[in-house]
Amino acid sequence: MKVIEWERDRIVFRFFGVKWDWAIEPRYWRPHIIGIGILFVTPIVLYFVYPPLLATFIEGSLLPCIVLPVILMLIGTGRFNFGPQFFVGVGGFTAGLLSIHFGLGPGITLLAAAAAGLLTGLIFSPLTLLAGGIYFALLTLLLPLIFLEITFVFDIFKGDTGLSGIPFLINFPNFTLNQLLYAFFALALMLIYLTITDRLLRSRYALQMAAINDDEEVANGLGVNISRIKIASFVGPAVMISIVGWFYAHYFGAFSSITYLPMTFMMKVFMALVIGGRGAWAIVLGGYVVTLIEVLLIRFAGNLSPILFPIIMLALLLIFREEGLFGLYRKRHYRDYKPHFKITK
Amino acid sequence: MAKELLKVTDVYKSFGGLTAVNGVSFSIYEGETVGLMGPNGAGKTTLINLISGTLPVDSGKIEFAGTDITNLPPWKRCKLGLARTYQIPRPFPGLLTSANIVVGALCGKDMTERSLMDASAEAMHYLEIVGLFHKRNVKAEELSLYELRLLELARALATTPKLILLDEVVAGLNPAEADEAVKLIERIKDYFGVTVLWIEHVMAVLMKAASRVIVLHYGQKIAEGSPQEVARNPQVIEAYLGEEVNV
Ligand SMILES: Nc1ncnc2c1ncn2[C@@H]1O[C@H](COP(=O)(O)OP(=O)(O)OP(=O)(O)O)[C@@H](O)[C@H]1O
Ligand SMILES: [Mg+2]
Repeated sequence: MKVIEWERDRIVFRFFGVKWDWAIEPRYWRPHIIGIGILFVTPIVLYFVYPPLLATFIEGSLLPCIVLPVILMLIGTGRFNFGPQFFVGVGGFTAGLLSIHFGLGPGITLLAAAAAGLLTGLIFSPLTLLAGGIYFALLTLLLPLIFLEITFVFDIFKGDTGLSGIPFLINFPNFTLNQLLYAFFALALMLIYLTITDRLLRSRYALQMAAINDDEEVANGLGVNISRIKIASFVGPAVMISIVGWFYAHYFGAFSSITYLPMTFMMKVFMALVIGGRGAWAIVLGGYVVTLIEVLLIRFAGNLSPILFPIIMLALLLIFREEGLFGLYRKRHYRDYKPHFKITK
Repeated sequence: MAKELLKVTDVYKSFGGLTAVNGVSFSIYEGETVGLMGPNGAGKTTLINLISGTLPVDSGKIEFAGTDITNLPPWKRCKLGLARTYQIPRPFPGLLTSANIVVGALCGKDMTERSLMDASAEAMHYLEIVGLFHKRNVKAEELSLYELRLLELARALATTPKLILLDEVVAGLNPAEADEAVKLIERIKDYFGVTVLWIEHVMAVLMKAASRVIVLHYGQKIAEGSPQEVARNPQVIEAYLGEEVNV
């Protein structure tokens, strides 16, 4: 039997009795091509016009790399994970510690970070079966905070100063060129995540995830193997988020728990999630907007920015509430699946 | 005699001190419509929850189509051919009406090679049968109670069940809607050849539709037989506190 088959308008993959079909719909490609085009041109323009903004672009590209998996996790487990940055810590510390103490290169630490994400994901995935609603939210909220405490207790994590001396992913003598390459790297990672999310949200798995998100007991009664979907939706995104931690470590050459594990970082993730709105591209938009606002505030409001940032975020939240920025654009697209997130159970 | 489809043997379930289902045994045969009656709090819904696997039994045995399903999770029971509706409708409120039914069509069968497209095409068929096609692009949370009942029926049918457990169909509907719903279920029975276990408060409905009736009272089976027999049973009359039992 053929594994891949080309049909008139679709590619069909078959693998051990499981069928995947990927509809090729060129008429829907235009907005994606335009979006990707703009994203690839932006760093080049910044490189020539105003290189300092490249760092913002990189961070803006990395934020959706956390938010997209968080969305998948929220829908597929039907639970609100309030501590997704835990896995950033897992990936970052795995990469940092292994490269500092064992001299491993970024290629191997990437695998190690992914493996660490997989392992911790698996260890904590039973939470999705055992706890729901507010209890799950509280437990996941505590995970990164406990991790933060651990980094202060055990010297190896260097809680107060953070790890430093982690080898860089890209290391040419020209700093600006490095930044440009990092920008492309971050963009590529984001587009990979975007593609994965987009494909998944159109697949039959998305329907099962959505059903779980709405009422897992009913889904169970309709033949959805809810444990399998919930665990996969917890572990998969955990790996994806860990890889972002790996990128942070090798991009900055340093990794500290107080940057990524506290709630401030989590707030940024959720702001990007809510402000962008629903849909994969919306998250990307949210990521850049949130990062840009933060950078502008640090630049122009100085000491006040830690106060102003949440206030502005709150204001934006109130303005856009359910729809997000993207909602303004596609309010009328009724058929698009819009996940809604529930904390109550 | 037709084949035995469901066999419930000496099933118990209690919540704290309250025994909601107290040693109930019965069988359902292929092609039957069995009515399940009893006053409020008799344990009817709990019994359905036990059969569908929503709640685990304390003790006892449940067999379905020759398989012991006592300890199977609900989704496996569904794949074997058990489907249910809920007393208070429980749609997936955030999903479109069509998507609600696609979930059943996609996951409810014992088939691995099913794409979303196959399932969607099939779901349209069930939407049409229950008469919800015109609401396919409306979110389920916007449907009326009657439409929600139809939705649950279509969703259950989409799993291609052998046995459907109906937990109150006409409660809360106006007489015209109730009439439609009962007729629909009869049509569905003919069309798909499913077996039905049907809980209903309105006795007149079961008196007409059911070939056999089981009566629960305080978690115990107090009577079983044809609707006419059961309606004359003194214990049943007492359980309903002298309520008129009309045949
Ligand atoms: N999850 C639960 N936890 C505690 N008690 C429960 C639970 N479910 C049902 N009960 C109790 O078990 C008894 C039987 O309830 P059940 O819902 O099965 O009755 P019923 O026959 O369906 O009644 P009705 O006609 O009102 O639907 C009731 O006293 C109810 O309060
Ligand atoms: Mg009931």
